[in-house]
Amino acid sequence: MRELIIAYQRRVAGFAYAITGRSDSVEDLAQMVFVKMARAIDRLKTPEQFESWLFRLARNTCIDHLRRQKLRRIFTPFGPEHENVPEPAGAVDSEELDALRHALAQLRPKDRALLALVQEGRSHAEIAETFRTSVAAVKARLHRAREQLRQHYNSDET
Amino acid sequence: MKPEHEAWASLRGHAAAQITPGFPDRVLNAARARPSPLLVAHFAMCAATAALCLAAVAIYQSGFSGDDATNQAGWSEITAQASDLEQSQ
Repeated sequence: MRELIIAYQRRVAGFAYAITGRSDSVEDLAQMVFVKMARAIDRLKTPEQFESWLFRLARNTCIDHLRRQKLRRIFTPFGPEHENVPEPAGAVDSEELDALRHALAQLRPKDRALLALVQEGRSHAEIAETFRTSVAAVKARLHRAREQLRQHYNSDET
Repeated sequence: MKPEHEAWASLRGHAAAQITPGFPDRVLNAARARPSPLLVAHFAMCAATAALCLAAVAIYQSGFSGDDATNQAGWSEITAQASDLEQSQ
């Protein structure tokens, strides 16, 4: 189990960061994902599908986290100053990363998850299974998400 | 995706840097841990509140049934007096 965590911790962290855009919640989210993994791995019937299962777990954990945050905002009187709190100084050290982070933030969480899954090398069929949709729908959504990301990325860079 | 390739790599690197030493051990400890005492306390509080509500409803109901019995006794007495009066006439 320890070896599995060590092998995947960097990738899961990157995946969570791509979806949430907050580096201060990356470790907590990665921990939640691996705790769920450790508790449920015995129920995984097909070990060859481990990676796709793990990223499905990670995707659901991140989306749930964003949902909870949104819900919390309904009950907590959030002022405009609390929205999009910038990363602490020095947290983002390259312009490309900053541009990508801002471009990703403009997309819907599900589209961010879609792009992050592609970056993790998941096939269209695996993504379709994760999102419980068809491969054609994944391709169409991916095309749209890539276009949007490119537009925002280029506008941020210029 | 070509222009963002480097940025994605940078993003993964930046995220990986947020993982502090000892992470696998912390995960394993958390996975082995029982539900947090806070969660247990939360459920206990919910159960106690529910029990209190049920008790309050039961007491309220028993108060009503006591009133009902008094009312019924009162009406029986009135009925008896009315029938006595009817017979005496």
